[in-house]
Amino acid sequence: MSRKLLVPLAIVLLTSLVLTGCPKKAAEPIKIGLQAPITGEYAYEGEGFVKCVELVTEQINAAGGILGGRKIEIVKCDDVGKPDESSKCANQLVSAGVAAVIGSYSSTCTEPASEIYNEAGILQITPSSTATRLSQKGFKRFFRVCFLDDRQGLFAAKFMLEKLGADTAVFLHDNSTYAKGLAEWAEKYYKEAGGNSLLIDAINPEDTDFRPILTKIKELGPKAVYFTGYHPQGGLLLKQSKELGTEFKWVMGNACNNPELVEIAGLDAAKGTYITTEPLPKDIPGDAAKKFYNDFVAKYGEPPASIWWVMSADALNVIVEAMKATNSTDSEKMAEYLHTKFKDYPGVTGNIIGFDEKGDRLGTVHEAYVITDTGEFEMVK
Amino acid sequence: MGQLLQQLLNGLTIGSFYALIALGYTMVYGVLKLINFAHGDLFMLGAYLGLVTLMSLVVSMGLSANLLVFMLIFVIVMAVVGGVGIVLERIAYRPLYKAGRLPAIVSALGASIFLQNGVMLLYGARYRTFPEEFKTAVPEVMWTFAGARLTLMQVLMLIISFLLMAALYFFVNYTRVGTAMRAVALDHDTARLMGIDVNRIIALVFVIGPALGAAGGIMVGLFYGRIYFTLGWSYGLKAFTAAILGGIGNIPGAMVGGLLLGLIEALATGFVSDAWKNAIAFFILVIILILRPTGLLGERVAEKL
Repeated sequence: MSRKLLVPLAIVLLTSLVLTGCPKKAAEPIKIGLQAPITGEYAYEGEGFVKCVELVTEQINAAGGILGGRKIEIVKCDDVGKPDESSKCANQLVSAGVAAVIGSYSSTCTEPASEIYNEAGILQITPSSTATRLSQKGFKRFFRVCFLDDRQGLFAAKFMLEKLGADTAVFLHDNSTYAKGLAEWAEKYYKEAGGNSLLIDAINPEDTDFRPILTKIKELGPKAVYFTGYHPQGGLLLKQSKELGTEFKWVMGNACNNPELVEIAGLDAAKGTYITTEPLPKDIPGDAAKKFYNDFVAKYGEPPASIWWVMSADALNVIVEAMKATNSTDSEKMAEYLHTKFKDYPGVTGNIIGFDEKGDRLGTVHEAYVITDTGEFEMVK
Repeated sequence: MGQLLQQLLNGLTIGSFYALIALGYTMVYGVLKLINFAHGDLFMLGAYLGLVTLMSLVVSMGLSANLLVFMLIFVIVMAVVGGVGIVLERIAYRPLYKAGRLPAIVSALGASIFLQNGVMLLYGARYRTFPEEFKTAVPEVMWTFAGARLTLMQVLMLIISFLLMAALYFFVNYTRVGTAMRAVALDHDTARLMGIDVNRIIALVFVIGPALGAAGGIMVGLFYGRIYFTLGWSYGLKAFTAAILGGIGNIPGAMVGGLLLGLIEALATGFVSDAWKNAIAFFILVIILILRPTGLLGERVAEKL
């Protein structure tokens, strides 16, 4: 009998010890997870996430933290851009007790992780995964600060038909969740608007020689080719396309919105390429965006290289805003708030109008850019 | 018609790279019955060192990018990677020869991961590009016939890889050391009784294989202009497949296998679909292996290597 009493007694004693031991519970930092490809294929983007998220965290903590002086602590996890590592990361962050998660970069990684975060009931905001089906699963705590593939697909289809006057086109992706989705949406809207799609095919992103597929496209003779994969392959496609002497116009999706595209392709091959994307960090409208851009340059000595970096800052901003508004770190309450009350927030990626019931960001900001003779990305007016 | 010709040229170019890398797998297998999984990564190391040497010779030391400098780069990088090959053999493989084949294969996988991560940490996890200005060494000449294009760069790459392959073939078949190599491949113990220093021959195999791989690495870097630390994995897998297709352990087999794989890939892309290219290539591989389990030219290690 006495042993049975001993256990609860010990627990009571221990808890009181703990409680008296740290009287200022408010000082305990709020853990927020950052799942990103810090190494591996997309390390460039992952490193950018870390930079942006750390900048925002620094600023918030320097201003005295949130929820009565609690600091924000970022728990990083590197998913290498691979789905299997992504699941490991998600489990790791869940057991680290994070209040919310930013991530991951690619849709391929965000998909398996979102299942785990959903089960654990943790708010997840992806800065950059745009595959439509991610938000079709009814996960109540899944949000994104980027825009869906179908909106970009619609924009691309219209741009090719109306601005470029290309009534025949080929659609090329790399079989990743994101690129395939975008290519299929673009093709669908392109056909609906009266365009003639000659081919939709996938390259293997591990290849370095794309001459065979380019030869095939050259033979089909479209007026434009829309490539929705990532810039390392995009650069090679441009380069080899020039070597083969193709005549169609290249239009590429927002995963090619990266200066490395020009570096890999070589200026000669890259110039004249169109890119459909959210605006570059320097072109984002709004005071918050300008301030963030300048702060970033001041801290790191170079501008943020892609919109996805900046999106990760806004993912954190949205989480912090939700915590402040609900005065809690409870994912359930934050999600409820974001779905219903969150409106017109001046984000660093432009005005965030709000989120729909699926967690997708409302509105659109897509623009077309063209690579100039000096290798700059210039907005097409 | 134009497309067919162009696809054949495309396939030949891709295939000659596969063949060059496949030689390294096949040589080591022929002599040691070991699949050297680190070979692809030695190839990748060659590509990185090629870029580093090029940058230091041309940018830092101010040499103009002419053919002589490129030959110098090949020599330096092949020597260095050959050296890495010897070290690898000493540390990762030689202590395990007595332990059987499986531990050596695991050790090779370990070496592969070590090299990959080493390069990633040294040079960063970003794509590296060969600066455009080095292209001036090779004038932008191209020929067009029947709608197919062939560039001078492509021709040079083909010539270099065929020269290297031919040199290896003659070295193994018509020199004393090559004869010793074939003897070791046949039977280590008997070769030792004949007065051949088996360990030296094995070391030599681990110089030549990686050096050829390194040459392939520089060529891939120069030709495509973009390198990455996982390059060894994708090329290694294809080259290994090529070696098996041609008959592993057999030098002409590796060449035939590499070229055939390149051609199958190009034609599959051109006339079926790029997304199905690998599925088609490996399907054909399976068919060939069912019909000829030892590969196209057979695993006649004893006579051939």
